Amino acid sequence: MSEIKPSITVDARGLSCPGPLTSLIKAYRKANVGDVIEILATDPGFKPDIEAWAKRTGNEIISIVDEGGVIRALIRVTKK
Amino acid sequence: MKKILVVGGGDGGTIFANRLARRAPKEVDIEVIDKSDIHYYQPGFLFVAIGESSREKISKKRAKLYTKSIRFTQAEVEKIDLDDRRVILKGGEVKSYDYLVISTGSTINYDDIPGFRDSVNHFWTLDEAEKLYNRIKDFKSGNVVVGIGGLTYKCPVAPLEIVFLIDDYFRAKGIRDKVNIKFLSPLERPYGPKLPSKIMTEEMKKRDIEPVTFFTVDRVDADRKKVISMEGDSLSYDLLILSPPHKGADVIFNSGIGDEEGWIPVDKHYLNVKGYDDVFAVGDSTNLPIPKTGVIAHFEASTVADNIYYDLMGVERRGIFDGQSFCIIEMGRALASGQVSNYYYTESPGLIPSRILHLAKLAMNTIYWTCILGGYI
Repeated sequence: MSEIKPSITVDARGLSCPGPLTSLIKAYRKANVGDVIEILATDPGFKPDIEAWAKRTGNEIISIVDEGGVIRALIRVTKK
Repeated sequence: MKKILVVGGGDGGTIFANRLARRAPKEVDIEVIDKSDIHYYQPGFLFVAIGESSREKISKKRAKLYTKSIRFTQAEVEKIDLDDRRVILKGGEVKSYDYLVISTGSTINYDDIPGFRDSVNHFWTLDEAEKLYNRIKDFKSGNVVVGIGGLTYKCPVAPLEIVFLIDDYFRAKGIRDKVNIKFLSPLERPYGPKLPSKIMTEEMKKRDIEPVTFFTVDRVDADRKKVISMEGDSLSYDLLILSPPHKGADVIFNSGIGDEEGWIPVDKHYLNVKGYDDVFAVGDSTNLPIPKTGVIAHFEASTVADNIYYDLMGVERRGIFDGQSFCIIEMGRALASGQVSNYYYTESPGLIPSRILHLAKLAMNTIYWTCILGGYI
């Protein structure tokens, strides 16, 4: 499978709730439909937050992986 | 004698200057520069917005707030040149320094939300707080929409405070049954930290305030009186009160020392501007991932004042800023809640709304001018 290249990367490592989600929403404000946002976060509450956000906003979570304490999520902007 | 230059005379600059001047009266020559000669107690804007305070009560002449040895210069700073250790004023005057403290705060970035400037009320400046009170006192009935507009904004709890106080105001006026109140948040709950948010949500339920979540304000259509979200929803309003988006001060952009939003990268514990050991930034001006509030400016300024004092005395001791914050959340009905946090402890329980916290908030209106700005605590 070919690697999906993000068009925007948001580094929210070290930020506590709601910092990572707020950072994602800020990037989402500037993104276009079709963009892939990569977000890195260390806050454990980020995973349920981003899942709820994607479900409510209709954007697509391509993947969420916990890489040794760093949550790496790829979001495809499908709705704006 | 070391020359200490402070750019910006808000909470951070004033507390820093007074604290250091008192600790090291013979070792420092401190000059504070600000374009305005008036200092405002910014938490007072909330009370102005509901008619419980006034411009006179929350403003003082800046020059009167400083310890005698401090010089206050009213001037606009054009550029800060860190490599040449120079601060250039509008008009061309150049100031040099041994230590520089940047406390330039934040400014409102209206352009970030189309339609905001002309159609949204807020209370993040004193002029706007007065305008908001004029809207509230003449309001008879309709839809009031309150909430988070800009995502980088000063004082995360301020939108919650105004929604509770407005509910109180309309009840006292006997028109609450003619007013619908909604609270907007881009998150899945009204307030970021989960436990305090639970308290806020319960109070909203008790007071018939409807939370509207996952509503990221995209633009405001003033003609149709609608606020539109990026998620594709829209709400009609008769009175719209949102937090405005903020950015760093113009001088930070002019000087090329901030990030894309104009926030200055600093060390999270020592507050020195990254790459420099003689320049510090405090308060809203930094890029730290913590709220932009007076209490944080206060604790940061104290840390920097103490560390420069230790440096001047030739001792190795250094204080560390740990992101500490203590916020009292005014909730109307003579009640207030509170929240404590730092870099490492972010999910503290919100404090149960009580009268004692409300009284503490009112006490702050007075002790701010003496104990806090004076750098005593």
